[in-house]
Amino acid sequence: MNHTNVTLRVNEVDYPISISTERNLSGVLRETIGLTGTKEGCDDCECGACMVLLDGQPINSCSYLAVQAEGCAITTVEGLADGDELHALQRNILEAGGVQCGFCTPGMLMSARALLDRTPDPTDEEIRIGLSGNLCRCTGYARIIDAVRTTAVELSN
Amino acid sequence: MQTFVRADGPDKVTGSGRYVADLSLTGMLHAKFLYAGLAHGRIQNLNVEPARNLPGVLSVLTAADVPDIRYSPVIPDRTLFAKDVVRFEGEILAAVAATTPAIAAAAIELIEVDIDPLPVVNDIEAALKGDCLLVHPDWEGYDVSGDTVRDGNVASFSSIEKGDVEAGMRQADVTVTSRYVADASHAAPIEPRGIVAQWEGEKVTIWTSSQVPYDARAGVCETLGLPSNRVRIIVPHLGGGFGGKCGFHFEAHIAALAKATKRPVKLVFSREEEFLAPDRRREGMVVEITTGLTNDGDILARQAWVGIDNGAYVADAAFFPQLAAMHVGGPYKVPAIKIDAQLIYTNHQPSGSVRAPTAPQACWALESHTDELAAAVDMDPINFRLRNVVRTGDEGIAGQIYEEIGLDRCLQLATDSIGSPTLADDEAIGVAVGWWPSFAAPAGAYAKMQDDGSVQIITGAQECGTGAVMTLRDIAADELGIDVTDIQLVYQDTAAAPTGPGATGSQTLLNHGRAVESASRQIADQLRELAADELEAAASDIVLGDGKAFVTGSPAMSVPIADLAATAAGGDLLLSSASAPMPDWPTVSAQCVGDQEMAAWLAPQFSCHAVRVRLDADTGVARVVEVHTAHDSGTILNPVGALGQVEGGVMMGIGQALSEGTYYDENGRQTNPALLEYKLQTMADAPPITTQFVEINTPNAGPRGSKGLAEAPNVATAAAISNALAKLVGGPLRQLPMTPERVWEAATEIRGRR
Repeated sequence: MNHTNVTLRVNEVDYPISISTERNLSGVLRETIGLTGTKEGCDDCECGACMVLLDGQPINSCSYLAVQAEGCAITTVEGLADGDELHALQRNILEAGGVQCGFCTPGMLMSARALLDRTPDPTDEEIRIGLSGNLCRCTGYARIIDAVRTTAVELSN
Repeated sequence: MQTFVRADGPDKVTGSGRYVADLSLTGMLHAKFLYAGLAHGRIQNLNVEPARNLPGVLSVLTAADVPDIRYSPVIPDRTLFAKDVVRFEGEILAAVAATTPAIAAAAIELIEVDIDPLPVVNDIEAALKGDCLLVHPDWEGYDVSGDTVRDGNVASFSSIEKGDVEAGMRQADVTVTSRYVADASHAAPIEPRGIVAQWEGEKVTIWTSSQVPYDARAGVCETLGLPSNRVRIIVPHLGGGFGGKCGFHFEAHIAALAKATKRPVKLVFSREEEFLAPDRRREGMVVEITTGLTNDGDILARQAWVGIDNGAYVADAAFFPQLAAMHVGGPYKVPAIKIDAQLIYTNHQPSGSVRAPTAPQACWALESHTDELAAAVDMDPINFRLRNVVRTGDEGIAGQIYEEIGLDRCLQLATDSIGSPTLADDEAIGVAVGWWPSFAAPAGAYAKMQDDGSVQIITGAQECGTGAVMTLRDIAADELGIDVTDIQLVYQDTAAAPTGPGATGSQTLLNHGRAVESASRQIADQLRELAADELEAAASDIVLGDGKAFVTGSPAMSVPIADLAATAAGGDLLLSSASAPMPDWPTVSAQCVGDQEMAAWLAPQFSCHAVRVRLDADTGVARVVEVHTAHDSGTILNPVGALGQVEGGVMMGIGQALSEGTYYDENGRQTNPALLEYKLQTMADAPPITTQFVEINTPNAGPRGSKGLAEAPNVATAAAISNALAKLVGGPLRQLPMTPERVWEAATEIRGRR
């Protein structure tokens, strides 16, 4: 296994680390850097729990090599709030009842953030398609859709 | 009641909440299991020495290294590690603890294993034939408890019999016979299970993703020969369960590795392991059912056989036959009935309680059959149901007389809600009714009011996502007249709380809720005594509300509850403990062979689901366009949580209906243990869902007249979809899930017959 020194920039903080070149980004975020908000549900791009943003683009971090993320701005769920103030998506998903077990929530929030960044005023269909890579077993999805819609309106005002 | 507050919400949206996989302890090792990899075989050789010699490996355990104990709740038919014979592909042969997950995985590869394949029992009907080999040749030697009736490959048999079925069938104008076959499926929580175990001296602490901490503790104690006071189970945040994380799974393996290495040891499952290894698969089922009825549409008699694929070990499934029999009988008035149900050993992954065990499949079969009955006497299926469903005061299939129930109102509300929309040629509406019992079990709670007037509730309840545990705060706040944010819950730790069932059987509110209500009420009574002295009034005239104790009718005469608490802190402390009183259990008149206490239903819950389905006839792809539900789960205490249960249950039901099936190859191995091949419904598939509650304040049930709710929404959806599809293809769908291929084949076959 080849080790290499890289600096990963996560939530606007630089982390100089030494890692094996074959490690995936989710594992490095969770185990090496210690940000466990990003979840791992399948290790195969099937569930979306590990979704993070790479320069604003949503990726399944379970299937992305950590070394390839050097030089990118990585955003995880820990970087979504502004200090102690929750992001509107975080607040609205709670108020809508869109959180149950919470395991899919970090990935869901990151996909929703990416969706709203590129499509500030999404239709319901655009929300459904935009978040269809994030599996939730608890909610039936409707309350998550409500939260994204509410947030879009709130942010556009 | 005050507004629902999800106390664990901020943890979950910010990523600060810790799940088991997020935990890490100094010196922690990583565990991997070696699985059988084939469904049935005799172990000829198992040599773990090469793995033990790999640098970085600190322990490799097999059956030889743990107590030789057979376990399981009713039928102790398995051991922690396979001994001599493997009976399903996910059976564990060895467990490794190493310094990294990669070294543990490499060590697994080094274990030399030689298993002689045995013939595979791959089908329940083949398993019943006289010449079929026995999955457990030693079945008669197992130390079984209760009234379980067994015979060879039949692990548990139950029958429900009432009235004269033969006479009923003779009197019938019409009889209809149907056969339905449901595949197995999975709970599939998004969090794969994880366990961390650490010994300190003679005591072990186990952090585990369990829905049932006390059952997990009991399993560890039983299999490792430990007393309860040496095992502490802690559950951090739990990433969903749906029954899949009920029971006792791998905690003892990890505790044994931690003991052997004198280090903390962690296990986190892969998604594939999550599909293959736990003994909590939703059971496959075959239903053969005949009903006799009059030309007017009255049911006279019903006879049925239910075969249930148990898999290799019984886990908690001994009660499945009786429960399945109740669901195949259904919430109908049936004067004469005989249902035989068998739980049958195969070489598949063991079945166990997944959200409403046996019910979605059995309801799907019964309710598809019910539409066939309506068609046979040329009646509208809704009117047929209205004529035959049980109502308040009616006698059910097992002879139980139901107190006030709302099934007829559910049927009316859900069908009114979907109404009579203009349907395209490729659309149809389907309707089904379902039911589910409430399970009473012992549960306790402690409460203490602190000197600032805030309250700590200590409960054995387990939050699995439903929010039901959060509702316990609302009950306490309501009893004590203080703000819900002043209630702190201590839970998910067997060292802290009195025992209780945990998140299983929709019991959180029903059982833990009654204990919390009672413990809170005791503190409230103490507060009223203190306030009575302070305000010079009778304790019976003191009312608690808005953080104050005041005299009824004279709100100006009041004292802050925090002041009373501060006074008490200097003397008689405000402490209480309570057990949930066991409700009076209803009785049945039917003859129940192999009784597993599943025929008499405490506070039964009812539902009706009405769906609009669109079918692409060229491809067989069905899409659920809208869902309208009505539920009788008694008083609703937490509307947001309740709606979330219904919506999530419906979505799971849509998956069971259309895409979630586990398939086996000819060697008894699962062919689709991955989320791309075993497809859950996505947001793109999600239809709008409306929900109405028939709120009957139900006595002899949960707090404030509530009943359970977490499982009931998972019962009727697949059946309703089936009835819509049957209209579109021109006849019933006989296999579950109703995949595009099966729907297309059924449509083609029905067209060919015309």
